[in-house]
Amino acid sequence: MILPDTLAGMGPVRATPVWLGRTRVLVVVGKGGVGTSTVAASSALLAAKGGADVLLVAVDGKPGLGPLLGGQPLGPAEQTLRTFTRGGGRVRGRTISPEQAFGDYLELKGFGRLLRRAASAASFDLIAGSTPGMEHLLVLGKIKELDREKAADLIIVDVPPAGHAAPFLRSASALQRAVASGPVRDQADEVSALLADHQRCQCVLVTLPEETPVNEVVELAYDLEDDLGLALAPLVVNACWPERPGLSMSAAAAAKQQHMTLPAATRRALDGVVRFGRARLDSQHEQFARLDEALPLPRVQLPRLPAARLLPAHLDLLASALAAEPIMPQRVSQ
Amino acid sequence: MSTLQSVVHDASLVVTCGPGGVGKTTTAAALALAAARAGRRVIVVTVDPARRLADTLGIDASARSHDPVEVVGATTHPTGSLWAQMLDAESTFDRMIADRAGDEQRVQAILSNPIYRSIAGSLAGAQEYMAIERLHQLWTSGEYDLIVIDTPPSRHAIDLLAAPDRLVTFFSHPVYRVLTVPGRSFARVTNAGSSAFLWAIRRLAGPKVVEDTIEFFRSLSGMEAGLRQRAAETAQILRSEETAFVLVSSPRAEAIDEAVHLAGALRDGGFPLHAMVVNLVHPTPAPLGMEVPADLPPGPLTDQFDLHRELTALVADEAREMNTLRTLADDAALVEVPLLDDVQDLAGLAVLGGHLLSTAG
Ligand SMILES: Nc1ncnc2c1ncn2[C@@H]1O[C@H](COP(=O)(O)OP(=O)(O)OP(=O)(O)O)[C@@H](O)[C@H]1O
Ligand SMILES: [Mg+2]
Repeated sequence: MILPDTLAGMGPVRATPVWLGRTRVLVVVGKGGVGTSTVAASSALLAAKGGADVLLVAVDGKPGLGPLLGGQPLGPAEQTLRTFTRGGGRVRGRTISPEQAFGDYLELKGFGRLLRRAASAASFDLIAGSTPGMEHLLVLGKIKELDREKAADLIIVDVPPAGHAAPFLRSASALQRAVASGPVRDQADEVSALLADHQRCQCVLVTLPEETPVNEVVELAYDLEDDLGLALAPLVVNACWPERPGLSMSAAAAAKQQHMTLPAATRRALDGVVRFGRARLDSQHEQFARLDEALPLPRVQLPRLPAARLLPAHLDLLASALAAEPIMPQRVSQ
Repeated sequence: MSTLQSVVHDASLVVTCGPGGVGKTTTAAALALAAARAGRRVIVVTVDPARRLADTLGIDASARSHDPVEVVGATTHPTGSLWAQMLDAESTFDRMIADRAGDEQRVQAILSNPIYRSIAGSLAGAQEYMAIERLHQLWTSGEYDLIVIDTPPSRHAIDLLAAPDRLVTFFSHPVYRVLTVPGRSFARVTNAGSSAFLWAIRRLAGPKVVEDTIEFFRSLSGMEAGLRQRAAETAQILRSEETAFVLVSSPRAEAIDEAVHLAGALRDGGFPLHAMVVNLVHPTPAPLGMEVPADLPPGPLTDQFDLHRELTALVADEAREMNTLRTLADDAALVEVPLLDDVQDLAGLAVLGGHLLSTAG
């Protein structure tokens, strides 16, 4: 256990859910548009509130996460985004680009000047282009180094979006097949070992309660678990419509239950949103049922926030929602 | 006529682009269907369609054919027809090699090269490049009145538009050129950059990879002139008068920010942006016409008021985000499409098409 797990009696310090403290490296994965970065940032916040020293790494360099957490846009230089005096936790953030990871790698391995010149911008493209997966491997290799150095209690990695998550995570095993020896091979071996080590690394899958994202996350889950041996943390279903039992009846019926009478225009307006809301909830329940069937993973549901743009305050809300006890699939399906 | 109506009737090429998961593929299919129903012979080339949409188009992965398939039941119009094709970077790459590499032996040498095998599917930008290569093939075939090309999600607009240039840059890189000079053994490569490059690869990945890399580059030599020419031609096609770019977004801030970026890149690149589609917009609730009592206890009516209040706030927020895009629109149309129930079958696509072509927008 890496994170402090006995925080009882420490007042407002938030207890960290068990799953979040299980490994040092936490990789957050999902298709584009499902909110992986949001989930990565809220997890970081939650762990820091529980007293952990967290490093948030944006692989595709989404700078916007910085301001959302109260700092500057993320860049290659690490910055402290938030500190909590109460439990001593903090969130630091940075990006990692392949070029930068490559430079660091050469430094680390003590390669000479010649090789560094070869790694100059133009040749980097060539090396990366002619050894596919290399870019990804370099970034993962850097994360492996951070883990080895114990650079933080928790290292949260926001993986590249839309369709690139699987190639990114598979780069090491692909290179193991293509490259028989040498430092690249060693690097690939070590990265594969990290990914498959359930004591060191786990993966949070993020999806939406909609048909296509559900199909995709089920596929991705089996891919990552079977092919790479990744440990899967609870599934995060983002942007869930809040359950509202009152949407099962007409406005008139609802008003009657609460001993009110409504003007006709109000009833029409409410019936309109009720119809819409119920349709969303129905299809959401259908997707939950499909997840119950297809994916035996506990899951955490995050509420859909009534806003088009995420604000720092929203992250605190989402962090609290993430702290909830994960729901076991069978319990929902009963 | 609305902008997208005239696009559907008159354009020869439509390119849908935008951030991830906002409905690019669905929009491409809906526009193609509308054009087919207007009597045109249309092909839609999709990337990674949702499963049920792929079924609807007859291009589900199990029956993945590399040739266009006619979409059954798409239209009853006597001259109209809808064809669909799934874009797959690896197979398009193979096909390009087969078409362009010359004799069979050379083709086989390339296709079986391990470096090629790992490049074909994953070379940065390969998908984008292939969308464009495919477009060139379809355009020159002259078989269709309208080609609708869907694109992979572009976080960086540049990825898509610069794909042809990037591949050409790769092939004209000095290191690449030195490596492909025939007859020169790799031990005698004297160019400093190249030998450093090879030394680096050898140190990092071992001698076998170096051999394969050189072999691969050599086997490709001679193809780059053709590549370069097609890239130049494609760049022209993309900027032609008959081409319309349709930028798709959702009203969420992350998507809008990216769409704004992409719109700028399209403008800068001289690509004809005809319309911006904001998809998945929440419906505007009718006004309540009364004050919600402040002391209402929890109950069904409270649930309903809460949803009304949240939706109203959300819609206002979405409108604010869309305005950012609207100020950029200039002469491009901005079309709002609501969040619909199911758009993955032909009926759903037709409904979506109705919204896209509506004159209200
Ligand atoms: N107006 C709409 N109403 C409801 N659902 C929609 C609407 N437009 C698209 N969808 C659904 O949203 C999902 C994503 O759509 P689609 O696959 O077209 O997005 P995309 O932008 O092509 O995604 P990607 O970036 O992954 O390629 C699909 O399940 C589709 O059916
Ligand atoms: Mg798509």
